[in-house]
Amino acid sequence: MQTLDILVPETSGYSYAFLDEFAKRELRRRMLKAIAIPGYQVPYASRELPIARGWGTGGLQVTLSLVGPSDVVKVIDQGADDSVNAANLRRFIVRMSGAQTTTDTTLATLIQSRHRIPEEVLHEQQTLILQVPDPEPLRAIESNISKAREMHGDADYGLMWLTLYEQLVRYKRVTLGASYPVTVHGRYVMSPSPIPRWDVPKLHQAPFLTVLSAGREKRLYAVPPYTDVRPLEFDDVPFRVENQRNWLCFRTGEHNKFMNEIPLAGGNAIYEISDSGYVNKRILKQPVGNTFFDDNAKFYKEGVLHD
Amino acid sequence: MYVAARGGEEAIQNAETLYHQLNTEYDLNTVRLIERNMPYLVDRVMGEGSLYAPDLAALALAQTGGDIYEAVLMLRAYRSTQPRLAYALPISWDEMNTIRRISAAFKDIPGGQILGPTLDYSHRILDLAVIDNKSPAPKIDAPDPIQPTTSQAEFAPVTTLARVSEWQRAAGLLPKVNADDKQAARDIPDVTREPLLFPTSRAARLQSLSRAETGGVLALGYANMRGYGAVHPTINELRLGYVDVMMTHPMTGEPFSLGRIRVSYAEVVTTFKGSAQKPQLALGFCATLGWNEVKTIAGAMLDMAMDLPEPHPSHTEEYVLYHTDPVESSGFCIHYKLPHYVTFGSSLDAMRGVEVSNSAAASYYGDVSELKAGLPGTYAESELAVSDLSAIDDVVPDIALSAHP
Repeated sequence: MQTLDILVPETSGYSYAFLDEFAKRELRRRMLKAIAIPGYQVPYASRELPIARGWGTGGLQVTLSLVGPSDVVKVIDQGADDSVNAANLRRFIVRMSGAQTTTDTTLATLIQSRHRIPEEVLHEQQTLILQVPDPEPLRAIESNISKAREMHGDADYGLMWLTLYEQLVRYKRVTLGASYPVTVHGRYVMSPSPIPRWDVPKLHQAPFLTVLSAGREKRLYAVPPYTDVRPLEFDDVPFRVENQRNWLCFRTGEHNKFMNEIPLAGGNAIYEISDSGYVNKRILKQPVGNTFFDDNAKFYKEGVLHD
Repeated sequence: MYVAARGGEEAIQNAETLYHQLNTEYDLNTVRLIERNMPYLVDRVMGEGSLYAPDLAALALAQTGGDIYEAVLMLRAYRSTQPRLAYALPISWDEMNTIRRISAAFKDIPGGQILGPTLDYSHRILDLAVIDNKSPAPKIDAPDPIQPTTSQAEFAPVTTLARVSEWQRAAGLLPKVNADDKQAARDIPDVTREPLLFPTSRAARLQSLSRAETGGVLALGYANMRGYGAVHPTINELRLGYVDVMMTHPMTGEPFSLGRIRVSYAEVVTTFKGSAQKPQLALGFCATLGWNEVKTIAGAMLDMAMDLPEPHPSHTEEYVLYHTDPVESSGFCIHYKLPHYVTFGSSLDAMRGVEVSNSAAASYYGDVSELKAGLPGTYAESELAVSDLSAIDDVVPDIALSAHP
């Protein structure tokens, strides 16, 4: 006897890479728009994922809509591959997509990251996906998102410049830490996500695509390859990266890669390079790719940083 | 280990195992008991999860040890994978099977006040005898506790009634509803499939309130009612009951019931709205899946308050709707547990840099020669040399937190 059970095809429970095809289509369309308008925040529906909001769900939705079985995925948090949340996201991506994973920046096709851009220079075939807690660079001066959108529409960034100026007056320097605002393609002011200032120049005229996605705030934006990305700076007050000039990585003995400061009892501190994939290769004496900053802190592109 | 440690993957698996060891196991029986014995908890999870599925909500509660935020997230994450296949027919509140209905605006209303099931007038005294196992609670003539019954209306007599606001519309106290205002189902936005943009439509607003977090809606609503806001509401009607979700059969074109659900809604009114020549009442509305009186009352107030001019934050729909989503607010709150040492280090660098600028008695922008170097300023030299590294390795594991003994 024919019953409904026989007629209904067997379902696998979840779609490939978790998101259903409607959600993937929406994300891909939004990404195309974001790439077409560099630095512009594109609203998207932002589905709930089985990961808590604020834990990388924006980046994860982008990764899940881009990943295929032949991709090689690297996931880092603060530069570390084995940080617990990075490990969890990687585990989920693999479980849902069957993609390969790596800790080697040079081997990855998709790199999902929270708060860091790796030290080794990425190439054209790689995509960097940055998790974004707050996509709105104007949030501190305009918390209302509708008004901030109007300000972006008018390229009304006067208050932003004023904020930098006030910091100069009060502290004699710009006191912004991570999430240093940048101008993309000479038009939109964009938050590069809370990457350290050390990583900001890496986005300028970069050969790789960067997609930035805020799941909780439901906005994604992009820096297409070979796009101008300039930190906000005055002509006579150049942008400064973090000063770690005399810090030495206790694992590798290297200078001039972005370091973590690790407090020791008694008030001292030691330092280690934050990019754990890079450190591992150094320790294992494996070849590393070209790095954005060389051993003398010289940036790989001329004229990006003042030197 | 917590971070930057080898074996992060193993650690998180051990942490999850430990969590489940500390909490009791669950099975179908547990799920049925939760569903049957904690209907208000299940309702809250379904309402905030915006998915009517008592068994799945009870399962989520069983799996998460009763952590409402986790249970709601689990239900939402399941919901987000489900395709939207069809549109149900609009539900008329007049056809709601009403089990409880209160109006504070009038002593009596057409159809009457129905107290229904409530603890409002109970004495909130712990039944300690149950703990002592001396006097078991009086036996209620309830169905088999293993069977799910919360969605069934056989418990009490029900009745269908017109809304109080319809009497007010007929009496000219509220503006009439235009037939043109009714939207086709396909034209109604779906906040689960489209981003919320502001100013938003009332449909998107009511959907958002419907799935908003009870505590968040209450906090903002309470601040408003207590006096920070401009709304002085009266509960026009609060209603709990059951409705049949109807759909048109794709083959026969006949409407049929997909099932019966528990719903609640509140209408609040405030006086002296409309024009100076013709003052009228204004109406705020909030409905949700399941029975949740606190949320619907506070939500209906906020529905009205969101139209008022600033300055109170709860008068802005963006403020109310962004900050009352359970998944987003709770997720962001707990995300601060994640390592932030890169951003913290970057801020520390900026702060230390201020000291350097000050001590150098520099001008506005510091010592220009340093700035030109790109990496200005110096700190105390690290005292460590590479040769010391073997000693340091013993120290570093102190930063690790073990997830599992």
